[in-house]
Amino acid sequence: MPLGQSSVRPVPTGRTDRARPGAPARRGDTRRRPASGGVRAERLAPYVLVGPAVAVVVLLRLYPLVLGVNFSFTGDGERNGTTVGLDNYLELFRDPLFRTALGNVGLLVLLLPVAVAIPGLLATFIHLRTPGHRFYRSVYFFPAVLSPVIVGAIFNLLLAYDGPLNAVLGGVGLSPVDWLGDPDVAMVTVVGVHVWATFGMGLVVFLAGFATLDSALLDAARVDGASLTQTIRHVIVPGLSRTIQFVTVTTMIGMLTSMFGLLYVMTAGGPEGSTYLPEYYIWIQQGQLNRPALASAASTVLFLIMLVVGLAQISLLRRAGKET
Amino acid sequence: MSRTGWARWLVVVPMTLLALATIYPLIFTANVAMKTRREYILDRFSPAGVLHWENLATAWNSVGMARYVANSLVVVTSSVVLLLLIGSMAGFALSRLRFRGSGVIYLGCLAALFVPFQVIMVPLARIMGDAGLVDTYPGLVLVYVAQFLPFTVFLMTSYYRTIPPEIVDAARIDGNSVYGVYRRIMLPLGRPALLSVGILDALFCWNDVIISLLMMPSADHRTLMVGVTALRGQYSDDIPTFASGVLIAAVPVLAVYLFLQRQIADGVAAGSTKG
Repeated sequence: MPLGQSSVRPVPTGRTDRARPGAPARRGDTRRRPASGGVRAERLAPYVLVGPAVAVVVLLRLYPLVLGVNFSFTGDGERNGTTVGLDNYLELFRDPLFRTALGNVGLLVLLLPVAVAIPGLLATFIHLRTPGHRFYRSVYFFPAVLSPVIVGAIFNLLLAYDGPLNAVLGGVGLSPVDWLGDPDVAMVTVVGVHVWATFGMGLVVFLAGFATLDSALLDAARVDGASLTQTIRHVIVPGLSRTIQFVTVTTMIGMLTSMFGLLYVMTAGGPEGSTYLPEYYIWIQQGQLNRPALASAASTVLFLIMLVVGLAQISLLRRAGKET
Repeated sequence: MSRTGWARWLVVVPMTLLALATIYPLIFTANVAMKTRREYILDRFSPAGVLHWENLATAWNSVGMARYVANSLVVVTSSVVLLLLIGSMAGFALSRLRFRGSGVIYLGCLAALFVPFQVIMVPLARIMGDAGLVDTYPGLVLVYVAQFLPFTVFLMTSYYRTIPPEIVDAARIDGNSVYGVYRRIMLPLGRPALLSVGILDALFCWNDVIISLLMMPSADHRTLMVGVTALRGQYSDDIPTFASGVLIAAVPVLAVYLFLQRQIADGVAAGSTKG
């Protein structure tokens, strides 16, 4: 809708009282028509309408961000309120639990391509009209609406040491795996469950991206006899670079910030602290150990990680998109 | 790409297996919830012969689930109503009105969209504590509104941009004030978007644990999802009752999904393609 879009561009000041974007001058005579309020009230109206939203966002989202960074340079407990410079950050990086949390972030980055490729491939198959695509679509999406707590609880049952999955493994002659009790396995298990629960989100976003893809290109590829892999490489990946970018960034953000429920229910950070992520560390320091300033330092680090990961991915993918 | 037979099976078989892997955990849980403890220990997979509905009653009565459900309903409903009201007002102003600062405000909302709750959790807890709002319903509602408002504003703004500006012009010429245009034109026209965003906001609030854990420390004020975590401690050796509790907590969301999956998926997709 080009007409609609052009009308929302900012306009020179002095016309701010008008709620009629793009209204031609000949309609100027209707200016004072609105019965109630008067010109002054009309001019204030936009501010009244955005006021509550601005107040909430500034006071409860943006201001806490600044407050938190500021907070991270002060002390906890006896040194409450005094400036301590970088002490919290030094303590943070000396803490083995926080280092594990950072290491786990590295693991998430490594697993990210898998977490993006699964919904991407499935969306490709569904878009190319595999028989039963409608059924697949709604089945795959459904875990995405479940709470992480419920997902975690269900998988606690399935993955218990004497639970059903190990019973199946035993049935085919494999030895049981301590999915949630083995420090080397637990984090991968939890990430796996997270991917199980969230790939439907990425799938829906990919399908929305496919809807914007020029179908003539796909038809042309088909006429030219391109194989599925060729079609994916030369038509789908370049055509969907923006969608891939979006899914990559949101999947990473999801991994960094929405695994709390799973961690809380499935492992509580254990075994041996092996399933810590920065978000869980922040929670423990703030909620259990009463170290808000240290928690703030961890929050600031988490925010920086997200900023860096987000920007790096965008620039990387942009470059990849240009090359193809 | 199903030209050759074997290629088709190469796609269809894994997709079907994955679909099974997606639904089976829930079927398993539902089945376990219908067994006795003895039946579960003897055989985890066999279908429950006699359905033990009383497990649901045990879970429901034991940890005050009724109370948690009521808490969740109150908090989620208030949050969604406020989110839709504030979000659609701001969305209308940002998309269809011209005023100084609108660009900055829109950018501010976008920026807030990328600030996760965990990053601002500590200072937010302090702010809410100072305001005396911790462990109160308005406090939790306010934090939910703050958390999901940027998303709501963003989607409402994109939706209203698709509505032709001439409609607003015509309503103004007919003598409506700005507020009149909002109430008589934008709110009714925005219904599809309000429905999609409202469902998503409701799901986010209903499914949350971390905000609720932080804002509602006392057991009486627990929301349902926090209640489920408490259930686990209580029934660690009575898996069928535990599974029943999980099932009770999952059913409302599953019902919403069955009836409204189109709107949910549309909302998620709109968040990715617009803007």
